[in-house]
Amino acid sequence: MAELGHGGKKIVERIMSASEAKKKAKGLTQIPVRGQIAKEIINIAYGFFTPLQGFMGKKDLDAVVKRMKLADGKTIWSIPILFDMSEAEIEKYGVKAGQTVLLTFEGNPMATFKVDEIYAYDKAKICKSVYGTDEDKHPGCARTYQYKDKFVGGKIMLVNKPKINPPYEPYFIPPLEMRKKFKQKGWQRVVAHQTRNVPHTGHEWLMKGAWLQAYGELPIEKPIVGVLVNAIIGDKRKGDYIDEAIILTQDELRKSGYFGDHNHLTSLTFWDMRYAGPKEAIFHAMLRTNLGLSHHMYGRDHAGVGTYYDAYDAHHLFLKVQKDLKIKPTFSMNWLYCPHCGEVTNEGLCSHKPEWQKFSGTLIRSIVQDGVKPPRLIFRPEVFDLVMESAEKYGFGSPFVTDEYLEKRTPVFSIPPMKV
Amino acid sequence: MSEGKYPINLWVNDDRYDKLKNAGLADMCKEMLAGLKVIQVYANDAEKDQILKLYPMAKFDSATTKSIELLPREVKDKIFDKVIVQKSIDTAVGAFLADH
Ligand SMILES: [Zn+2]
Repeated sequence: MAELGHGGKKIVERIMSASEAKKKAKGLTQIPVRGQIAKEIINIAYGFFTPLQGFMGKKDLDAVVKRMKLADGKTIWSIPILFDMSEAEIEKYGVKAGQTVLLTFEGNPMATFKVDEIYAYDKAKICKSVYGTDEDKHPGCARTYQYKDKFVGGKIMLVNKPKINPPYEPYFIPPLEMRKKFKQKGWQRVVAHQTRNVPHTGHEWLMKGAWLQAYGELPIEKPIVGVLVNAIIGDKRKGDYIDEAIILTQDELRKSGYFGDHNHLTSLTFWDMRYAGPKEAIFHAMLRTNLGLSHHMYGRDHAGVGTYYDAYDAHHLFLKVQKDLKIKPTFSMNWLYCPHCGEVTNEGLCSHKPEWQKFSGTLIRSIVQDGVKPPRLIFRPEVFDLVMESAEKYGFGSPFVTDEYLEKRTPVFSIPPMKV
Repeated sequence: MSEGKYPINLWVNDDRYDKLKNAGLADMCKEMLAGLKVIQVYANDAEKDQILKLYPMAKFDSATTKSIELLPREVKDKIFDKVIVQKSIDTAVGAFLADH
């Protein structure tokens, strides 16, 4: 039976067999791509971006910018997926419509790219639509302005599968494989937890709350609802938690029994965050629909940055387009520690407001940085120990991204050599 | 304009607590986040500017914590040692900076 993804479209992996790849890639003009594009090629090829089969042409881009839809006028799409080239590069490689080229990453063949069209588009117009601003200090706008001046639309076929490097390899679970896993587990509903963090108990309770919300009216005799942690792995900024600490500690919540195999799974998606707030929330909904999830948790200021978006903008936009999305939202209030209750509770539950001790990401990082183990009600000891272990093993002594980490870290994935 | 007072949070584990107790400073600890002890030392305007210049990875978080955060662990260890020697939370930062 076909697996249907976002927009009701069939999920198809765009990956050639090794023998076909060898034939098809032979003699093609090779064009190197940067990390962002390589990640997006993986997403297109494995169906994370269903129904996209390649990089967007002008009609799709225009529909996304004007109506938050693809050119078919029906399928919701909120963030453009673009392949950029300069005029000079187009000339250098002799790129023309109708031609197929071979995209390479770090010197190795990755995917064929059948060029349909080459076009230009107003970047400020993209920014205003996607980010609600054209200020170049918005990180998503900055990324858009960094695109070179021409865009190339066309279909992608992977010729060489990425090698996911340790310790990430168990967490790369593409849509078709993910759906099999959910079936094996007998999960009828799965709720997505978007993260780029090492979890404190405030995050743990966001997941627990979302699990309870997703469970709803279902029978409880056997476990049939799961939480999928889907960590976004992409460009890092100095001071972020290192990727290894994020993915391993999220899974540690299951391993240490705060959750279990029956209700918790950790995975990753390669994506350079755009910080598009509400539009990124919709993008996450599409992505996780493709992964086979039934629900998506949204907290305050989902995927926002600075003061560009109000705390509930993402919720409002979701509700506006909900009829065109398959996934259902679970909206979460903040969790906090109340010394009066003596427990982690929710701002919608407890009335001891003057006594509340709120989770602050900055404070928790400050504590971790000092190497001081917080109380287990705030931060699980197993998670803390693993953060410290990851700092030594992967972070050159620091659980946070440093210049040294950026320079010397093991890449999350690499493209193996391939003779063409 | 009155002189600013910018806290730096020194988180207190058992080891630090014993040292504070021996120095007679244990009652300066506050409790934050489920009983986790913290001792707050204070920088004035000039000290704040100097410390942020010396350690560019640190920042004054004016939005949420209203404190100077993300100083390297060694720096905070040294400031903590100054608290013990100086027996003061107001002069420790100045004493630390005097060494630099
Ligand atoms: Zn309470």
